[in-house]
Amino acid sequence: MRSEGVLRSYLPFAVLAAVLVVFPFVASTNLVNIGVFALIYGLAAIGLSLLMGLAGQVSLGHAAFFAVGAYTNAILITRYQVHGVLAAGAAVVVSMLIALLVGIPLLRLRGHFLALATLGLGIIVSVVVRELDVTGGTSGIFGIPKPEINGRVYDTPQEFFWLMTPVVVIGLLLARNLVRSRTGRALSAVNDSEVAAECLGVNTFALRLRVFILSAGYAGLAGVFYAYWLAVVSPEASGFQLSVKMLLMVVLGGLGTVWGAITGSIMVQGLDEGMRVLIPQLIPGATGEVQLVGFGVVLVLVIILLPGGLAQLAAMVTARLRGRQVERPAAGRSSPLESDGAPAAGGQGGHGEDGEPGSPYLGDVLDSAQIPERGSLVLSVRELTKRYGGVTAVREVNLDVYAGEILALIGPNGAGKTTCFNMISGVLAPTDGTIEVRGRRVEGRRPHVVAALGATRTFQNLQVFGSSTVLGNVAVARHLRSRSGVVRGMLSLARREERDIERIARAAVAAMGLADDADRLVKDLPFGRQRKVEVARALALSPMLLLLDEPMAGLSGPERDGLAALLRRTREAGVAVVLVEHDVDAVMALADRVAVMDEGRLIALGAPSVVRQDPAVIAAYLGTDDEADALLRQAAKEVY
Amino acid sequence: MSDLLQLVFSGLAQGAVYGLIALGFVAIFAVREIVNLAQGEYAALAGLSAISAVTAGVPLLPAVVLVVPMVVMVAVLIERLCIAPIRKMTPLLSIILTLGISTALKAIMLLIWGPQARGLPAFPGRDIVLAGVSIRSQELWILGISAVVGAAVVWAYEHTLLGKAMRACAEQPVAARLVGISPRMATMIAFGVAGFVGAVAGLVGSPIYFSSWDYGLGLGLKGFVAATLGGLVSLRVALFGGLLLGVLENLVAGYIDTGYRDAVAFLVLLLVLLVRPQGLVLKASAARV
Repeated sequence: MRSEGVLRSYLPFAVLAAVLVVFPFVASTNLVNIGVFALIYGLAAIGLSLLMGLAGQVSLGHAAFFAVGAYTNAILITRYQVHGVLAAGAAVVVSMLIALLVGIPLLRLRGHFLALATLGLGIIVSVVVRELDVTGGTSGIFGIPKPEINGRVYDTPQEFFWLMTPVVVIGLLLARNLVRSRTGRALSAVNDSEVAAECLGVNTFALRLRVFILSAGYAGLAGVFYAYWLAVVSPEASGFQLSVKMLLMVVLGGLGTVWGAITGSIMVQGLDEGMRVLIPQLIPGATGEVQLVGFGVVLVLVIILLPGGLAQLAAMVTARLRGRQVERPAAGRSSPLESDGAPAAGGQGGHGEDGEPGSPYLGDVLDSAQIPERGSLVLSVRELTKRYGGVTAVREVNLDVYAGEILALIGPNGAGKTTCFNMISGVLAPTDGTIEVRGRRVEGRRPHVVAALGATRTFQNLQVFGSSTVLGNVAVARHLRSRSGVVRGMLSLARREERDIERIARAAVAAMGLADDADRLVKDLPFGRQRKVEVARALALSPMLLLLDEPMAGLSGPERDGLAALLRRTREAGVAVVLVEHDVDAVMALADRVAVMDEGRLIALGAPSVVRQDPAVIAAYLGTDDEADALLRQAAKEVY
Repeated sequence: MSDLLQLVFSGLAQGAVYGLIALGFVAIFAVREIVNLAQGEYAALAGLSAISAVTAGVPLLPAVVLVVPMVVMVAVLIERLCIAPIRKMTPLLSIILTLGISTALKAIMLLIWGPQARGLPAFPGRDIVLAGVSIRSQELWILGISAVVGAAVVWAYEHTLLGKAMRACAEQPVAARLVGISPRMATMIAFGVAGFVGAVAGLVGSPIYFSSWDYGLGLGLKGFVAATLGGLVSLRVALFGGLLLGVLENLVAGYIDTGYRDAVAFLVLLLVLLVRPQGLVLKASAARV
């Protein structure tokens, strides 16, 4: 049954291939000529779509890579008579190398700055090709012969269209596979919540860099075909207008959908030709790049009216035909344009929660090989301090955590508990002090480094991956326990690994009692269940140190009991659990040791029965909130 | 020596135009965190409109005075039509959107005015030679008007209640509302200010640097680079960044090769972004403006 699903997923590509093969037979030469350009730019747009939709980065200078590919190919062929295939390969490699060199510094920039830096790159490339002799200055490089394979010359629009067809179909297929692969899953998670993805071990920078390089490769290959087809490469190939055109193709088609890129490129190329003919007729005397007016207007209209692009439109139409309402654009995916890494707004209040987490079977989820010997030191915090200007949020905290214990971190609001979690998990760099996870110093390192050592966390303000399902959320946590990279992902070679990921993700979901919701979109779940998704996700990493920030908030009584039982089992497996919790009754019953923070200091640390009667603790809680009552009640019980 | 002085001086004049454009970027970014890629288009639009007016027989001064409010209105109108309807603005969204606006404006200017670059007649005055440096009167106009307009905008943003409230909109929308400024209103005013400085830049520069439909792209990008020197939030650094960039470009064009002139700005941009993305002068957490 699985292979049937696989076949079905390839069906659209077979249909596309068939349509492209038939097209030159039925269309006029003029139309086929337009089609050739649509395929050339479409190939580049597929790469840009990966960069924008998947890696969440915008390049305003993508024509730079297109031009590098075109020029490299043209130079190798006309000057050095290199074999066509070799020249094409070299052109792609050079484009990717340049992307690597500029990507390493540029991808550390965010938002506006990266976009403008790529724009700068585009302009530098176009200045350089105008100035250098090897690129032929402003006139460019002439006389590139049409490609010839086995004596067949691809010199008519029809022939060239057929030459490009397999390249585009395969390019699209590889891109689609990448979106569905481990890499795609991780990057989609980054678009929803960068911090949560990193805390699950996703190295955002490295993945983005790979997609950036890949997208440059697509653009470079498109440049190769461009050089062949025009037989001339001039500085126009690096022009800003071409970058805008590619961007429009991706935005019009719908970000995050590779099919959108190819659809968008066909529409934009049609628009381009149409405006070129139409505008001079409407406005006599109009010359030059007047079709730009169409690009600009369409770009603005799409953003305002249809931010999900044609993919959103298609999803709406399909839904209308099926007679049900679409709540979100693009078949349930939120448009990357709208996601800014902010936590998904969950429906408040877990109404009608059913029962406790079902029979938790953690054997599959927690991997004993990853868990250190019970009682060994897994986390050691020394003199941990965080200052913001004049305010000290955390002051000289010392804490050791051992495998197979549950340590509760409690304290009034603003005591610095979450700040401690943020520093331990790598989300915040401490001002001072050291953090060792299994003997490795991690203070100030990125969260994915800490996660790679087997420490992960949940978030007080939920950080679920809103655009994917419960299962999809949990599957991201297997990132570190799987290895297929970009190439295997594109070739779809990781089927067995994917099956393992799904099996363990399902086990973790079931352990949290979420089996019935496994295939629902996580953002459609009530608040309490989203919280449980986060715990399931953290468990699925097979952690040896689990940091839970208020895991019980929003859960019903029976659910709390269920979670407590699950945490005890997790402890039995040898995992160290640290939890920040406001429910003092639950904490005292569950924890082996309790650490109390107040105003940034650790004021007490020990067994619950000892801490409960500590005068400093009682004083700290007095008059703050209802935790004080709970604690006093506990103390009273002890006394009487 | 006089070569150097000559290059520096004409660079300063060019840089003042960049500085005004940079001011426009900051005027919006400090309020709404949008990089308005259509900033340069305001300058091209102002220059071309004034040239048409002068060609039609309107004297220079009234033409200039009429064009400025017109461009301000265009900027505000575009904000109302294209920026205001977006409920949740992200960096990616704002870049694509303003890129679309910029592209459409460019094409409309191409349709109306055609591809030729033209210049306004020079403002009244005589060219002079001072210490071997020939100074065009228009360059003095550029420097003088830029200084006045720049100082006025900086003063308005730093010292008036309205300006302070507008800047507060980016961080403290509630406090800004308390003194009667809604973020919507602040964004609209900011676009008006951007249109104003853009129009002034386009008008004073037109007699020397000419105006054309595609003049705005390069100008806008250079203004952006200058604004980046101040981390996109400092008006003063943006102004001086523009001057610095103008001089640097002229030196490269004079001593190395005119062809590389346009690459200078982007090398500076890449360097600044890599070394100090928060800007050259400000500390990461220092106060804005």
